This record gives sequence, C-alpha cells and structure tokens, in this order.
Amino acid sequence: MKIDVTHLAKLARLTIDEEERPRFAAEMQGIVEMVEKLPPIEGKLTADPANRMTLRPDRVEPSMRREALLENAPQSEAGCIVVPRVVE
Amino acid sequence: MRLYEMTACEMAEKLASKEIGAVELCEDIFARIDETEEAVASFITLDREGAMAAAHAADARRMAGETLHPLAGVPVGIKDNICTDGLRTTCASRMLENFVPPYDATAVSRLKKAGAVIPGKLNMDEFAMGSSCETSYFKKSRNPHDLSRVPGGSSGGSATAVASGQLPLSLGSDTGGSVRLPASYCGIVGLKPTYGAVSRYGLVAFASSLDQIGQFGRTVDDVALLFDAVCGPDRLDATSRSFDKPGRDIEGSVKGMTIGVPAEYFAAGIQPEVEAALRQAIAGLEAEGASVRPISLPSTEYGIAAYYVISSAEASSNLARFDGVRYGYRAKEYANLVDMYERSRSEGFGAEVKRRIMLGTFVLSSGYYDAYYGRAKLMQQRMTAEFKEAFESCDLIVTPTSPTTAFKLGEKIDDPVTMYLNDVCTVCVNIAGLPALSIPCGRDQNGMPVGMQLIGPKFSEKRLFEAAKCHERRMGGALPIPAICGKEGK
Repeated sequence: MKIDVTHLAKLARLTIDEEERPRFAAEMQGIVEMVEKLPPIEGKLTADPANRMTLRPDRVEPSMRREALLENAPQSEAGCIVVPRVVE
Repeated sequence: MRLYEMTACEMAEKLASKEIGAVELCEDIFARIDETEEAVASFITLDREGAMAAAHAADARRMAGETLHPLAGVPVGIKDNICTDGLRTTCASRMLENFVPPYDATAVSRLKKAGAVIPGKLNMDEFAMGSSCETSYFKKSRNPHDLSRVPGGSSGGSATAVASGQLPLSLGSDTGGSVRLPASYCGIVGLKPTYGAVSRYGLVAFASSLDQIGQFGRTVDDVALLFDAVCGPDRLDATSRSFDKPGRDIEGSVKGMTIGVPAEYFAAGIQPEVEAALRQAIAGLEAEGASVRPISLPSTEYGIAAYYVISSAEASSNLARFDGVRYGYRAKEYANLVDMYERSRSEGFGAEVKRRIMLGTFVLSSGYYDAYYGRAKLMQQRMTAEFKEAFESCDLIVTPTSPTTAFKLGEKIDDPVTMYLNDVCTVCVNIAGLPALSIPCGRDQNGMPVGMQLIGPKFSEKRLFEAAKCHERRMGGALPIPAICGKEGK
C-alpha cells in the first residue's frame, strides 16, 4: 500500500512542510506496513453485553460559566468567539 | 530520615496520629522537588501556593478534631492530561500550552474531596502518544536510576516523580501501557485498572475505548490506597462501572491461586536478564503456595498492529476538536477559516501526534476501513476471547511489563515503529479492557529495574494487589529511592 501523505494531511486538516514530506512519507509507509500484518478474520463484530451503557436523565442543570469558558478562547468579543468570516 | 522518603501509607498514618503535619510534609516535598527537579524534570507546572493552601486546610481540620480520609494532607501529582480546575493542563502540547480548565476531572475532584494535596502537573508524551516521554513539547523527563535513560512513557513524569521521592503518589493514564511501562522502567508500582473502574471525565481523550486513569506508588499498599480513593461509578462517564472495590486491606497471599505464564510473552527479543528475573519471581510465587501453569495467548503477536489501528482511529476523531476556534492554540496568520484550522493544527501539534492522526485518518478512510479498522476490531474480539479462555484455567497471568529495561534518551525517537514495539507486552491488556499491574522484579546488569506485569480478569484488582504484595514482600519491599546527584547524575 502506497501512502499519499499530502492527501491524508488534507483530510486530517494538517499541512506538512515541503522539506518534511519525504521523511513523513517514509515513516507513514513503515507504520502502515506494520499494521498491514493484521490477518483477515472470519466473523462478525458482536456487542459485549457486559459493556452496556446507560444514559443519565436529560434534564436542565447549571452549566459552566460563559466567562470562564471564554477565558480559554483564542479571541472573543461581546461574549462570543471570534472566527474568520465564513459566509460572504 | 526525611519525610519525603516515607510511603504514602506511612505519611497517612503519621498525619492521622498528628505525629507530622501536612504543611511540614508539603514543605519537605517541595524541598525534595527543588533538589531533584533539574535532574529528573518531572513537572510541567508546579503549584506551591495551591498545595500549601490544601495542606493548611488539612491540618486545620485535623486540629479541629475531624476524622479525615487517609489521603488528607498526602501529596498526589497529576499527569498533565487530567483536568485541574484553575491549574494549567497542557497535555505536554503547544496546542494546550495556555489551557486552564474551568473544571476538575472526577478523579481529581475525588482526591480534593479526600483532602489530598496537589503539588503540580506532570510531564508526559504529547497527548499521551509515546513510550519514552520524549515527545513532550516542554521537556524530556529522565530516569532517576540513570539520567541518561528514558523513564518510559507516556506517563513519564508521573513515574519519575514517584521514583525519585518528589511525590509518594501520582495519577497517570494508560491507553496501551502508559502507566505500566514507565512504572517498570523507573522501578515502582503502576496500576492500569479495568476499563470502567475509574471515571474518565476530565481526562483529555486519546482513544476513548482504551483510555484509563492509572495509579503510581512505590508500594502495592500505596497504589491500593490511591485506587480506592478515585475508583467507582460516575454519572459523568457513561462507561464507568460500579463494582466491589478491593479496599485497602491487602494480605499479600497467593495461596491456592493458579498463575498462567503465556509462552508468547517470553518470545525472541526478550532481554535475557528480564526473562531470568521473571522466572525467579514466578518460582517465588510458587513457593508461596501458587500453582503455575503454561498457557497460550496465540494472537499476542498482532496486538501492536491492532492497537495502533484502533487507538489512532479514535485519536484522529478525538483530536479533531483542536481547531483553533474555542480553546487551544490558534495560528497568528491565516487566509481564511480552513487555513486557520490547518495552520493552527500544524503549528500546535508535534510530529508524533500528526503521525497518529494521519494513520487514524488513513485506516478510517473510504475504501480502507474494512481492511484496517474492521480487521483490528475483529482481532480485538478474538484477543478478548483468548484472555477469557485463559482465565478459565488460571486466576492471574504473569508476563514481563516490557521485553527490555529502560533505553537511552534519543535511542529510538527517530524510528516510530521501533518505538511502538516497546508496548508489545502491555497493549493487549487495553485491547481486552483488563486490569494489570507492573511491579519491580529485580535489576539488569546496569542496575536498571525490571518490571513484572500481573494481568487479571475484569475487576480483579484485589487479586492483583494480593499477588503483587506477596511478591513485594519476597523482594524485601519497595526499591530504595536512588541517589540523584547534579544535572547529569554524576
């Protein structure tokens, strides 16, 4: 399997610098060859009954303070997060 | 004897009897950190003020006659991917360099409620992706037994802090061996609990179906004490479970236990001294009344491949949230929204994180899903069944924690696949959701600790503690805290 690093990076919303690309490609190739050793297995995935999850009741409760949350935002204004223009 | 040299249980006892005070203990802990931090580099963030305030509070309540949790006043360090309210939590990444969580992880809030003192946040591989603690954006932690060697990862700082006497206890996280491997390399005890035993709320997600918060201490009793304080169901983590807690009353007996020894874990590539130490320890457990039988876990050789497919797939999805919008790093210059995402992620993540995200993206991408992710999930099912079958004929499984002892800094960092192979003995446990514990088991010719891994069926932590304590007693107790001199250790 030949790995197209530029395409993968685009899917993952990453950019790989031109000079880093050959090394990255070689490393990714090695990693994919390693995971390719997985043999095909007949069978179907079944859910483990012991791993059932229960949802907690959906009710309105106090949540975190908006100001506290916005303190971690890279850029905020008037209680909102500032992002580049999305709609022209 | 200095206060920092005591085990957590000794500290708890002396605090409860008011023989020592939490403030006095905390001061000695910080003195020890000051003496050794330049050499071992365990911490990303120290919180002297917060720790001293918690220590004062514990003392005041004890002086007022309150009966407190044994951990009240005992210092516990936290891996830097576990959220602490108001205290920076970086995941050792540039992406979260300035992230200050507005809430505590459940494990942390339970510790705080118990009155534990939190001196700081511990170094790790970036986003817990690594086996040597070398992918941290901030610093490289060093093995206290030989400062030219790695402490193991990803919870490297959690292990170096406990092994060097900077802290009696710490929390780490274990997705494929990230508690057990550094515990083994640093000569301390590390527990990866059963999936669901400890709430993951507030643990920054790497691979959610494999992640578990684990515990480090120098003795089995110390780890049992810490596990007891943080485990149990939590409404904020739907995968957390209620179960019979093992408690802290560990006798240290293996009488009547059957111990399985899987041939696959003693295969080619194991360092001869590691195998010899393990064989001796197994004979010791037999002498204590356990019966030993050979078993087989035939799919072990596929563990690494299945692990890297499943964990990277989940990581690529979990780490999609880091886009420079709501929190975390945002690039300074960008042309538009998509460019902002790409630049923020490319500048914010290190090389190993990018490799894992890209591997995950690849195995989940259209046309490859069945051949990679589908196969890995079927392999997971097969491996889980193999463990289940093995536990029909034995109570515990004993293996090395790692085929080798700690390697030199820089030795493997340029070759990702070689680095991944360090996890060969630990990943299968996460894949099957089982509990496992690593405990010191002798040393190699360079004096580096060897680790023994005990694996049990789900929620058999009590059994692990019993066998581990039996072994620990035979070894004459915990490994002594090594002397640490100067920056390079010479």
